[in-house]
Amino acid sequence: MDKKPALLVFLDILSVILVPAALVLIVFFTPVEAVMGPVQKVFYFHVSAAWAGMLGFILAAIAGGGYLITRRFPWDWLSLSAIEVGVVFGLIAILSGMVWARPIWNTWWVWDPRLTTTAIMQLIYLAYFILRSGLNTPEAQARLGAVYAIVGVVTVPLTFFSIRLFRTIHPVVIASGSGPAFRMTPRMQLAFFTSLFVFTILLIDLVWNRFRLARLQAKIQQEVSQNAR
Amino acid sequence: MSNILNYLTTFWQMFRKDIQVEWRGRQGVPVMLVFTLLIVFLFNFALQLSPELQSGLAAGLLWVSLAFASTLGLNRSIGLERENSGLDGLLLAPVDRSAIFFAKSLSNFCFTMLVALILLPIFSIFYQQNMIRLPLIGVTLLGLSSYTSLGTLLAALSIQARTRDVLLPVLLYPLALPILIASVEASRAVLDSQPMDHFSSWIYLLLSCTLLFNAAGLLFFETILEE
Repeated sequence: MDKKPALLVFLDILSVILVPAALVLIVFFTPVEAVMGPVQKVFYFHVSAAWAGMLGFILAAIAGGGYLITRRFPWDWLSLSAIEVGVVFGLIAILSGMVWARPIWNTWWVWDPRLTTTAIMQLIYLAYFILRSGLNTPEAQARLGAVYAIVGVVTVPLTFFSIRLFRTIHPVVIASGSGPAFRMTPRMQLAFFTSLFVFTILLIDLVWNRFRLARLQAKIQQEVSQNAR
Repeated sequence: MSNILNYLTTFWQMFRKDIQVEWRGRQGVPVMLVFTLLIVFLFNFALQLSPELQSGLAAGLLWVSLAFASTLGLNRSIGLERENSGLDGLLLAPVDRSAIFFAKSLSNFCFTMLVALILLPIFSIFYQQNMIRLPLIGVTLLGLSSYTSLGTLLAALSIQARTRDVLLPVLLYPLALPILIASVEASRAVLDSQPMDHFSSWIYLLLSCTLLFNAAGLLFFETILEE
């Protein structure tokens, strides 16, 4: 096993420091929202987790494209790692959203576009693991996984759009055109963008570590099959 | 020019072969048809449908049963090639593989559409409303065409896994969700006799899905099948 790159060690340490720091910022620095109360503070990590998850899936599709073009396994490891980490972030987004929705919407779950799209996205990528586990060779896993990751990410906006044609009750954070948006005070904005930044760093760090694990797994598999011969 | 001609010949021969196999064996369409009818009966008991509820749910039930049934046909259509190493023969042939995709996709579409056309009068009787309407047939045509092209693509993908038959629904349903939502909503609008501009955005969505998934087949089918 080669040594951990210095940049990755730096990212590890940065994540360990930044996540609690962001929490401190959210708990003590941001004001309590007038209508919703303290539960609104879930929002900072909720949106950040959803953002990181989405970013992971897009990264996975790009890496999938990279594999199909170059046929080099590192792209596949990246794609797999990004999806695995993305699924965890997506789960965090859904669960934290439910914690918020229970007091605010008075229900754990509504069939709203964003909620449904996120849940379907999770199912799409859980199916990705089922697909991979059913394939025999690393080459087939990489090739078919890449195709599925690309087709999968393309359908996500379609799903969102199709559910959006029904009405939505999900708050719009960053206003697009007309419609009421949730307005943030400057302190809230600071905490919000800090959380986004922290989760992006965390995503990169986790994907990178997972990537190294995937490379190690591939190496072991190769050595095992060589010894068997 | 001869390239295009070759492509079309491959496409046509593949398509003809699929139709011929189905015509002689009659193993795809009847299975799908019986399966959809079973689903209709199951739903009737599971959901305890009253007559008023039934008419509102008819569009949804139609699409759910078609979606479930067509996975049977899709699995079969690619599985058939797997038996007796038909797939290897196809891959050895020096032809463009996307032509195979389009032929398979079209034959799957024809079989599922046939099931749908038989289903519509049956639904009209069961759910007490006239469902044999030209706009509804149009919506079915569009919805099924994008559904079967996505399904053909994913069937070719799942056939290579050890868990092949069970894998297809798990891959297909989450990806096909926009198609199903749009189809159900457009069908419901047609059954409510709404004017076209009320549901035209669903039609556009279906059109773009059809384009997108056929493009995906054109791009990726070769990659999926290579060994």
